[in-house]
Amino acid sequence: MKPAREIARRQTRRHFLGGCQLGLASMFLGSLQPTGAVPSRAMAPKAPHHAPRANSVIYLHMAGGPSQLELFDNKPELRKHSGEDCPQHLLDGKRFAFIKGVPQLLGSPYEFARAGRAGTWVSELLPRFAEVADQAAIVRSMTTSEFNHAPAQLLLQTGSQRLGSASVGSWATYGLGTENQDLPGFVVLVSGNKTPSAGKSLWGSGFLPSVYQGVQCRTQGDPVLFLSNPEGMSRSLRRSTLDALADLNRLEQRRSGDPDTLARIEQYELAYRMQVAVPEVMDISKEPDAIHSLYGTEPGRLSFANNCLLARRLVESGVRFVQLYDWGWDHHGNARQTDIRLDLPDRARDIDRPAAALIEDLKQRGLLDQTLIVWGGEFGRTPMRENRQGDKTEYYGRDHQPQAFTMWLAGGGIKGGVSHGSTDDLGYYVDSDPVTPRDLQATLLHLLGLDPYRLHFPHQGLKQRLIGPTDEGRVIEELLA
Amino acid sequence: MSAPSIAVAIRAVAATLAAVAFALPASGAPDFRTEVHPILLKCLPCHGPDEEARMANLRLDSIESATGRDGGHAGLVPGNAAESRVMARIRADRNPMPPVGERLSTEEIATLERWIESGAGYERHWAFDAPLRPELPPVSDPSWPRNDIDWFVLARLDREGLRPSDQADRYVLARRLALDVTGLPLIPAEADAFAADPSPAAYEALVDRLLASRAYGERWARVWLDLARYADSMGYEKDTLRTIWPYRDWVVRALNDNMPFDRFTVLQLAGDLLPEPTEDDLVATGFHRNTMTNTEGGTDDEEFRDAAVKDRVATTGQTWMGLTWGCAQCHSHKYDPISHEEYYSLYAFFNQTADADTNDDGPKLEVAPDVSTPVLEELSPDKRRETFVHQRGNYRNPGETVEAGVPDAFHEFPADAPKNRLGLARWLVSERNPLTARVAVNRVWARLFGAGIVRTEEDFGTQGALPTHPALLDWLATEFMLGGWDLKTLVKTVVTSATYRQSSDASPELLQADPDNELLARGARFRLPAEMVRDQALAASGLLSGKMGGPPVMPWQPPGIWQVVYSSRQWETSRGEDRHRRALYTLWRRTSPYPSMTTFDAPSGETCTVRRIRTNTPLQALVTLNDPTLMEAAQLLAERALAESGPGEEEVLERLFRLVLTRPPTAAESARLRDLRAEAERGLARDAAAAAKLASYDRVLYTSARRQTLVADSRSEAAEWRFTTETPASDWTSPEFDDSHWESGWGAFGRGDGYKDSLSSDWSTTDLWLRIRFDAREPGLDGFRLEVRHSGAFAAFVNGVAASGDINGSGSHSPHPLPPAARAALRPRGNVLGIRATHTGLTDGARNIDAGLTALRPPELESAGTDVVEKAAWVVAANVVLNLDEALTKH
Repeated sequence: MKPAREIARRQTRRHFLGGCQLGLASMFLGSLQPTGAVPSRAMAPKAPHHAPRANSVIYLHMAGGPSQLELFDNKPELRKHSGEDCPQHLLDGKRFAFIKGVPQLLGSPYEFARAGRAGTWVSELLPRFAEVADQAAIVRSMTTSEFNHAPAQLLLQTGSQRLGSASVGSWATYGLGTENQDLPGFVVLVSGNKTPSAGKSLWGSGFLPSVYQGVQCRTQGDPVLFLSNPEGMSRSLRRSTLDALADLNRLEQRRSGDPDTLARIEQYELAYRMQVAVPEVMDISKEPDAIHSLYGTEPGRLSFANNCLLARRLVESGVRFVQLYDWGWDHHGNARQTDIRLDLPDRARDIDRPAAALIEDLKQRGLLDQTLIVWGGEFGRTPMRENRQGDKTEYYGRDHQPQAFTMWLAGGGIKGGVSHGSTDDLGYYVDSDPVTPRDLQATLLHLLGLDPYRLHFPHQGLKQRLIGPTDEGRVIEELLA
Repeated sequence: MSAPSIAVAIRAVAATLAAVAFALPASGAPDFRTEVHPILLKCLPCHGPDEEARMANLRLDSIESATGRDGGHAGLVPGNAAESRVMARIRADRNPMPPVGERLSTEEIATLERWIESGAGYERHWAFDAPLRPELPPVSDPSWPRNDIDWFVLARLDREGLRPSDQADRYVLARRLALDVTGLPLIPAEADAFAADPSPAAYEALVDRLLASRAYGERWARVWLDLARYADSMGYEKDTLRTIWPYRDWVVRALNDNMPFDRFTVLQLAGDLLPEPTEDDLVATGFHRNTMTNTEGGTDDEEFRDAAVKDRVATTGQTWMGLTWGCAQCHSHKYDPISHEEYYSLYAFFNQTADADTNDDGPKLEVAPDVSTPVLEELSPDKRRETFVHQRGNYRNPGETVEAGVPDAFHEFPADAPKNRLGLARWLVSERNPLTARVAVNRVWARLFGAGIVRTEEDFGTQGALPTHPALLDWLATEFMLGGWDLKTLVKTVVTSATYRQSSDASPELLQADPDNELLARGARFRLPAEMVRDQALAASGLLSGKMGGPPVMPWQPPGIWQVVYSSRQWETSRGEDRHRRALYTLWRRTSPYPSMTTFDAPSGETCTVRRIRTNTPLQALVTLNDPTLMEAAQLLAERALAESGPGEEEVLERLFRLVLTRPPTAAESARLRDLRAEAERGLARDAAAAAKLASYDRVLYTSARRQTLVADSRSEAAEWRFTTETPASDWTSPEFDDSHWESGWGAFGRGDGYKDSLSSDWSTTDLWLRIRFDAREPGLDGFRLEVRHSGAFAAFVNGVAASGDINGSGSHSPHPLPPAARAALRPRGNVLGIRATHTGLTDGARNIDAGLTALRPPELESAGTDVVEKAAWVVAANVVLNLDEALTKH
């Protein structure tokens, strides 16, 4: 770390701890808003701490923990020793979710090749990603402390492995508001037919006011809960009711003088506009054929591809943070659908084309340099084969591995073609430039123009921050353009 | 108030505020609490009690440490600012203190200087000394106060040059009292009687009647359950449901029986340690069994047991003393007098219980056949745990051993009390405890006025807000203790005060002078909590069930909310009156709480919530406008108003309005609602179908009654299928396909232990093909839905058209609506549902497939004549009334 930066960081730390910085938090708590009410314009755009490199984020979370060894982390040594017993020193003192006894090393069955001008190693499972690899910075040295899905997802997405903290999307809208008041500022889209392990807490606002929680847009039923008028209530009749409601509320407000009443009238108007704006942005059927073939989308389907296209449409419409979850990456190898040979290629194919399309599409629209894309799971997978049933199983898979995994970032503020960090010859441990969830969170906030050390909210006597109470998290300068 | 006196008042307020915010003229000592301490707070993170964070061996949190008498550096020389190093460092040109952030202002520096010059007098934090009974202050108008509260409030207003507001309208008061005391609106007849009798006796009689109603316990239990982080599930990844509602019912009963708060405290923290505890005493200890339990595979039970113990320490500190003890788990508190070691002494009290983050959630107490609720149970003496300081808060990193004990800065632990939870509970409710009574009365005040006398309800420590009315807080606290910790009397005292009875209307001048109503020159006005939004609508429409207690219920919520990975439970809408119980009884699952209530800021129950932060969002508008529950309430409200009033439009309208708002509408309000109704009626007369839908409540919520089974799955009577395990010809999904050579078997198909009760036919191969014939004869069927439970992958076809499929197994029956193409392929008779199931090996040898098909019968609509159009227009009006800002507000 550069000395100058170190000083700045220390100062920031003292600044934070010093309690001088009321900033945003004072809007909600403490003497300025003693009644605990949140201003109704809580989602209005707010000035960042410094010039942002990205205005919005699309975060593609592969729930379950995709295998870095099959996708990004090429390990010829591991392939060479495939089938041999795992060296004992790698097992000592380790906890696994499912591995018992001495497992065998398992080399990847997939070929890797260098891609793009930068020569980034990419697996044959991701041919489309290889074509856009020069746009992305790959971090092969991600490492986390959690080896179960829910705590690992929570740590990555909320900064704490326990329930009750605010998600990164909530922090982003708390810090910056959002550009389009007719749409939610933080939208969540789920594919793979399942909500991820940690449930809706992953996009909860925790201790932050509930206005900042993620809004799950669904592709079945109302895209936002209760968006549709009751049956029989036409849009024009709804308009009439809202006009009457506003008139009556103004009569009341004249008597009571309560400014909150005016704020409420405004919220009803917002809701009325959302009733049109949300279905409109969620409707991909009018996209041209070229776009559908780029992403592999099919209107009406529930798919990661559709969600990627929706993410672009949402960001284009001024949504601050779009979080995608794709379930089904937990390749233990105890069944056909968790087999790295039989299932992983399908999974990879399902996400490869749309994720690459997202990069290309944003680029051709001139939006890539202001949109940050993040791809990754909550942890990685072991270099050893998991074999829960002993020799009986015909399937191949890997256990959870918190020590090392791969993520990539692209777009706003990211230096394309960077390969950051590395793991040892077997892909077991990070051997250079480890990056923790806190580092990732610090980098993400930094790119959005927020100071990760300053952005806080008072709760239970602490100044809660996304990056946690200590200052271990650091902005990964090496990834920045 | 006349115009000139308002102007005077504003000037007076401005002057007072200025006196607080800025230094007084440079003579005399500044006030330590309001002027000096806020400046020192900026220094304490690095120069406070936390040794690890301390810089330059300098402390500034007490006179002993700041002058170096405790062995550290001397920062201050009392009486001599020029000699005080602190001043030099603050004023330094290079690297002045504080090191970053806003510089101290010139005024702040001057304040510090005057403070040091005047002797640098420290004052102990107000909240750490026990409250003393204050004298009543003199007031300008002794005829205004109705009880002692009002003397303190008026004295403050006199100082600010303000006058109290007039008493609120009788109907407004009636609604205010009913919502505050019971959480439910009053019926119009009772409000009329109240309005007609302005005598003090009538007011008191209504208060007594409301306090005696059992709805009181339900309303105030909800307040307590936020603190208890009550939920009906265990939390974490699996978030399995948990039976702890007997504790919730105990809280309701205890409050309705007006159990003294000290006993209420002792039972919840240590009921099990009383001699010969009753069953109720044990159920009460469920308070601290609301902590989360992690049942995920491969987790370290000790890690989550430790998390639960820490949660108990933090929750106890927050709930009873308004202190943030949790801060000291990693390091000594940066502001309040609780060291890292003292935190673990508190931890030691809670470290001796038998629960240990196990799947069975034990120990439990059986309170009824098949009903066991988690309770606290002390370990036997030979199994007691040693308690260590956790370095940096990590339980895997034990430091020195500590004994159970309370922080030094507070009153002594009672000498005769045991060093266990029971002793701690007695220490908490000791009259010498400076905080317990203050925190309790402040909480009641905050629920009634929308904000506490100490605004930061969750923090009475040195970082918290100062009380707006310190003497009033202490009067209430001492009164509460002297009166035997009597909660109902406390509520009654507050709601019978003149302060409480003021109108909440605010002139622009008053709003500007006191936007947050800190001075209480007007009544309180704030949005209803989530539960009241729902309960009020149900009560006004006559839908609300009066049933109390028992297992939590599942009122209607949109489908698909509960789709989580490990869920084997489905949200199955309760039947009968259980659909319309008070919000308190709604099943609360931490990772997926009831959506329309979280939208109105109901907490998830993951941690102790001392005050809810109120938000105002468009999503709330969508709930009250469109949530079928609220729409159903609008429909029944319209019906009720039509049934309970005379035939005239004016009468119906007044009835409808008053069922929600208690007061009659004004002429202007009536006129506007009549206009809307007429406009709606004109529009709906041209659209009979729309009118029929609005007028009939037999729509979404009662769909379960309309749902018809076309193919039964194993949950009902099951059905007999044709099946084969040999790959059939490609047209096997077609209705014309001949399946006579296939075998017959009843659903569900499969093998393995997991679902064995439901399995009728064995399935051992990888693939299984199933066919069944069904009719869909009834006209107007809609909402066709496959309901499938399966272990591996399946694909379904209706008459040869792809209908659904899924490659990830589902532990319970998941709904799969038929896509339009499959829906179009249906005919009245002779349809074929074909299913191909594939075993994927995920679950070893176990596999299962169970499928059914259901559809909705069309609602029985009334004929769309004039009556229907008229009624539909009333429903539209009711929808508006339920959405009025006033309806969503207590004022």
